Amino acid sequence: MSIEVNHLTHTYNPGLAYETTAVDDVSFTVARGEFVCIVGHTGSGKSTLVQHLNGLLKPTSGTVVVDGVDVTGKDTAVIEVRKKIGMVFQYPEYQLFEETVYKDVAFGPTNLGLSEAEIDERVREAMALVDLDYDTFAQRSPFELSGGQKRRAAIAGVLAMRPSVLILDEPTAGLDPRSHDDVLDLVCGIRAQTGCTILLVSHNMEDVAGLADRVFVMNEGRLVRDGTPLEVFADGDYLRGIGLALPQARAFAERLAESGVSIDAKRILTREALVDAIAGVAGDTGGAGITGMGGDPS
Amino acid sequence: MNALLLPTGGRVVVGGYDTAEESFVWEIRRMAGMVFQNPDNQLVSAVVEDDVAFGPENLGLPREEIRARVKASLEAMGMYEHRKMAPHLLSGGQKQRVAIAGVVAMKPDIVIFDEPTAMLDPEGRGEVIGIAKQLHREGITVLLITHFMEETVDSDRVVILDGGRVAMDGAPAEVYRQTEAIRALGLRLPFAVEVAAALRARGLPLGEDILREDELLDGLGQCLLK
Repeated sequence: MSIEVNHLTHTYNPGLAYETTAVDDVSFTVARGEFVCIVGHTGSGKSTLVQHLNGLLKPTSGTVVVDGVDVTGKDTAVIEVRKKIGMVFQYPEYQLFEETVYKDVAFGPTNLGLSEAEIDERVREAMALVDLDYDTFAQRSPFELSGGQKRRAAIAGVLAMRPSVLILDEPTAGLDPRSHDDVLDLVCGIRAQTGCTILLVSHNMEDVAGLADRVFVMNEGRLVRDGTPLEVFADGDYLRGIGLALPQARAFAERLAESGVSIDAKRILTREALVDAIAGVAGDTGGAGITGMGGDPS
Repeated sequence: MNALLLPTGGRVVVGGYDTAEESFVWEIRRMAGMVFQNPDNQLVSAVVEDDVAFGPENLGLPREEIRARVKASLEAMGMYEHRKMAPHLLSGGQKQRVAIAGVVAMKPDIVIFDEPTAMLDPEGRGEVIGIAKQLHREGITVLLITHFMEETVDSDRVVILDGGRVAMDGAPAEVYRQTEAIRALGLRLPFAVEVAAALRARGLPLGEDILREDELLDGLGQCLLK
């Protein structure tokens, strides 16, 4: 399912003293199955932008076309859009409300008017996708779960709608490192199993560098960069100028290159790539006992 | 540690006061201030300076003294120019600075930060950590609870908790030497520690006490730029 955004503009409080244009003339197309990360300083318009994609906000001007359907049109049934586009908000566990995990995950499918058998199938499927064991968790209260488990239960509720686009707004905020990795593994697993398009809003450049096919950079409501992680992170000075950091491995590689070590910082985004590159240089310069990178010192 | 919770067994003594002793509670809370995770849940007033004045007012201090403390603590946090604003119009990092100003206005000996940066963007995180370090330089004891390992490398001491028990306790350089044990606890290593450990495993002669990027850069310079 494709998403086409054309000249999207959103102004909060138009005509009032607090008038602010949160999204300013943004256009892009996302193809089915792409993994797009959206980055930007706080207040750059990321969250406002993604809330247009499932019809939660209506644009001041411009259009959003999902799979050929203009979701911004007055006559478009929003329910059809919400079936296709699942949205996981920041701190989604605050939205858990039912007595049991089962009922919470079943809430969306139930509202679609599906049969009990179909609802049951979807709940089991969604819980499996987020790695919550059905027999252990289905009848538990969502409020008895750990932080990471709550978040997975909340994501299951979105997946039970079988969306073809999944939008996640900072899904790892506030999690400990292990739960952080679990949630990202989960997102990759969901994508591998369902083939759905992923849009992920993140402040974590390490995650963005490791996950995205494509990165959108937002600044002051505008889409200022659109490219692969290597392309977008190529311009470190620009990103720093708009309050964004480079992935730590890249920033460090640049410092190392400046200090005179001959590594190609432009190709490095992750810690693994950094370690490989440094080990390679060490091998080439004949450091004793370097293993792995094959640089024969002779 | 500020008597919000009391132990089922054992004792907690803060500055010589047993937290279980009810008559000490107010003195303990003045002495050990606390900054919480969510900046939106700890500001109580509609105006920044009123919020900061809330604690000192409850101490029953004279008006002039309250004014002076509010001014001094807002200035120290770089928020004095925002003193007339409504807290909800501030950024997350700014809100945390107001919350910290409220604690500082109590003239505490200890400040406990409970994941103060978890809900902030990288810029806000830098602001808050900078202030924690500033308070420490001024002689205040700082306890920082965090998931961000980078925030721990400049501390005097790192305590790792696991399942309600102390799993490790020592200087950062001692603790982070135990790379495998830390990974087994589900924690990450600080960037420079992790990269240095991976490179040592590949045969680079890097020292085991590397904690920060600058130290890694120096170490690599010595290995690679001979």
